[in-house]
Amino acid sequence: MPDNSGLTFKPSRRTVLTGIGAGMTAMALPGRTWAADGKTLRYGLSTFPPGLAPWNNTGASSNNVKLCLYRGLMGYDPEANLVPEVAESYDWPDPTTVVFKLRDAAVFHNGEPVTAEDVVFTFESIIAEDSSAYLKSSFLNIYKVEAVDAKTVKFSLKLPSAVFLKELANYCAGLVWKGSDAENPVGCGPYTKTSEERGVFIEVTKFDDFYGEGEPICDKILFTAYADQNLRYAALETGDVDVIEYLPWPQFDAVEQSETLKIGATVSPFMLMLFNVVKDGPFKDPKVRQAVGFAIQRQDVIDAAFAGRGTPLTGLPNPPGSPYNVTDPSIEYSYDPERAKKLLAEAGYPDGFSCRLLSTSTYGMHQDTAAVVQAYLQMIGINATLDLPDWATRVKKGKEGDFDIAVHGLSGFYNDPNALWPLLHSGPANYTRSFGFESARIDELLEKGRATMDEAEREAIYKELAKAYFEEVPQVPINWRAQAHAMQKPVKGFKAFPGWLNSSSAFSFDVSEPA
Amino acid sequence: MIRFALNKGLAALLMLWIVGTIVFAVLFIVPGDPAELLLTSDGAVASQDSIDSLRRQMGLDKPLATQYLDFLAGAARFDFGNSLIDHVPVGETIALRLPRTIELILAGLFLGLITGIPAGTWAGLRPGRPFDQIVSAANAVLISVPGFVTGTLFIYLFAQVLRWLPAGGYVSFASDPLLHLKLLALPAVTVGLHLFSIIFRMTRASVLEMRTHDWVRTAVAKGLRRKLVVRRHVVRNALGPIVTVVGLQMGILLGSTVLIEFIYNWPGLSGYLVTAVQQRDYPSVRAVILVVSALFILINFMVEMLYSVLDPRIRL
Repeated sequence: MPDNSGLTFKPSRRTVLTGIGAGMTAMALPGRTWAADGKTLRYGLSTFPPGLAPWNNTGASSNNVKLCLYRGLMGYDPEANLVPEVAESYDWPDPTTVVFKLRDAAVFHNGEPVTAEDVVFTFESIIAEDSSAYLKSSFLNIYKVEAVDAKTVKFSLKLPSAVFLKELANYCAGLVWKGSDAENPVGCGPYTKTSEERGVFIEVTKFDDFYGEGEPICDKILFTAYADQNLRYAALETGDVDVIEYLPWPQFDAVEQSETLKIGATVSPFMLMLFNVVKDGPFKDPKVRQAVGFAIQRQDVIDAAFAGRGTPLTGLPNPPGSPYNVTDPSIEYSYDPERAKKLLAEAGYPDGFSCRLLSTSTYGMHQDTAAVVQAYLQMIGINATLDLPDWATRVKKGKEGDFDIAVHGLSGFYNDPNALWPLLHSGPANYTRSFGFESARIDELLEKGRATMDEAEREAIYKELAKAYFEEVPQVPINWRAQAHAMQKPVKGFKAFPGWLNSSSAFSFDVSEPA
Repeated sequence: MIRFALNKGLAALLMLWIVGTIVFAVLFIVPGDPAELLLTSDGAVASQDSIDSLRRQMGLDKPLATQYLDFLAGAARFDFGNSLIDHVPVGETIALRLPRTIELILAGLFLGLITGIPAGTWAGLRPGRPFDQIVSAANAVLISVPGFVTGTLFIYLFAQVLRWLPAGGYVSFASDPLLHLKLLALPAVTVGLHLFSIIFRMTRASVLEMRTHDWVRTAVAKGLRRKLVVRRHVVRNALGPIVTVVGLQMGILLGSTVLIEFIYNWPGLSGYLVTAVQQRDYPSVRAVILVVSALFILINFMVEMLYSVLDPRIRL
């Protein structure tokens, strides 16, 4: 041993071993005492809810928590069927009038019974002048809402609406006690918020006077935010949480083959291309937009951006689970570069052109989709330069028309073609629609579809809409993408709702049981 | 001394005003509308009407000059306003999150110092020996592997494979001290490794240089014990550059622990800043940057003070 052994701090063997021993003991002790007692469902959110205001749409994470705190007149049962929720029953005396009978047992978290007056207060607040409610424009179709008696409320609509009940079942239509102040809305949902560490977790506890019989089953739900998708999955795998949302695509295989985990997957949002049709450029011509639709090999996008988890979307994005069948191969896209080139030549661009392709670097799937699209456009002579700003900038550029083509992902919140209204009907410029695109034909079909109550007639209207979608080209569809919840195998009751209802899956918390 | 502190204080105020103004200006140049972003999360479609209402509620319809003066007047009173997103006073959020980031940095610094200085000293005293060669080689690898890579590997190894530690997250010390420490362990080691590599290199080089000085030879020649020579004559003189580097690193870490906080879900200040920037939550962004700048200035000030303690020849 050289003589410098005493020159520096040199821990003795005993110190080191004691330290390691203590460390290992600490690691081996059971942890998470704060989440293990009683029946607590531990749910991994993709982001901490930016807000829980009942009527604003602040994203999927918020909506999960909101459905615990607030419930509306209509809702979904654990099998995703539309059912009366706080309402006990409803009746349509004529196409523009709906009368709801409220449940006797329904009470707000402060003990006040849910009355017709509260319903009137809720809907008057949603459509008020200064409201920022998500469904404000939809509910402006309400001409009048009045309390018939304490437990009966009558809605008079300006126009008949085939989707009014579905809109009432939305996570942004929860009933709020009429005496609430703006900062502290009182709801009547199955849980109340009992604990929160901002940016970390929200804990909700069972509301004992909830109207659902024997529901909710869990005493508590602990929502923990894991912004990093790989960590979210790791937390599920290590058993720190029972359920996670937005399972990353590359982990689908691992969960499907796992002995301890299971998956709840559906195809839900869709990827698409939008255009700037105002600028004096090639995309003003619907033929050029169609050419783009025939130039993309859709399976390649699915493989590259979604690990193969998705299905090509070749026509009108009629949501999965929609009651209508509008498919018709003659008005749908296929991968046909020859036809694409022919369409370009007909439009006067036989040699192609250059343009800017907008997407975002904030979401990998948007960026990857854009890269594949760019490669395929190149093959028919369209040189697209990628523009990949952060999400906030991308929203602004979309809204101001600062792009030629944009790659984007969209969804609705119920499985009916009318959910496409905000994506296709003309209105003030919005990043979710082609800039400057307006079609009286599409507007008229959407309006007719919503105001028609007969199923067969509606199907015919939406077949027409599919045709108009192909001919006028408000968007070019690319693919449906899979979306999945993953959970521990023993978790019972939680169901990933199909199609665009997926964002309402939190209704099944009522019957969920943890591992 | 007092004069020195006063001068520094005035300069700091001026710098903070400049930083605040630049941040304010930049935020308005960068595109993006907080109201629209909040209402269109996850691709939802918001009507222009709803967006305008929310902008009014957020106070973004006021003239720019008014907003700037409100901000300056508020900042002078340490009142940074409320978050545009959840309406919670920004000062409260910072008071909640800043200690977590500081805890993480200090824990990492502690680990970095107790390993880096002894290892660096030993390697510097015996250059070229196996210990020096092995640690220096390992250090070269460490320095070139970014924190998010080591972080991801640690989570995989310690959480997913060995199941020793939770994958990440945060629990306050008060509610569960043991779990708090378990959750702190991996991020602190990740920060510590980064600091170790810097401190080790600095110490080794500094010791290597110091031990060749003639006062060391004299001290050895007059029969002082080697332990004492190293501690009092070599290491103490070698500490100067280490203090500078550690001080600078502390400041840099305040802003750059973000990746580590993100990977381990550690709800500190820099994670908050990133979210605030993405959501264009103006008051939060301004406040966090001002606070971090103030701390940076403070740390530099303290480093200068520490010089005079380490080397009495430096008079402030």
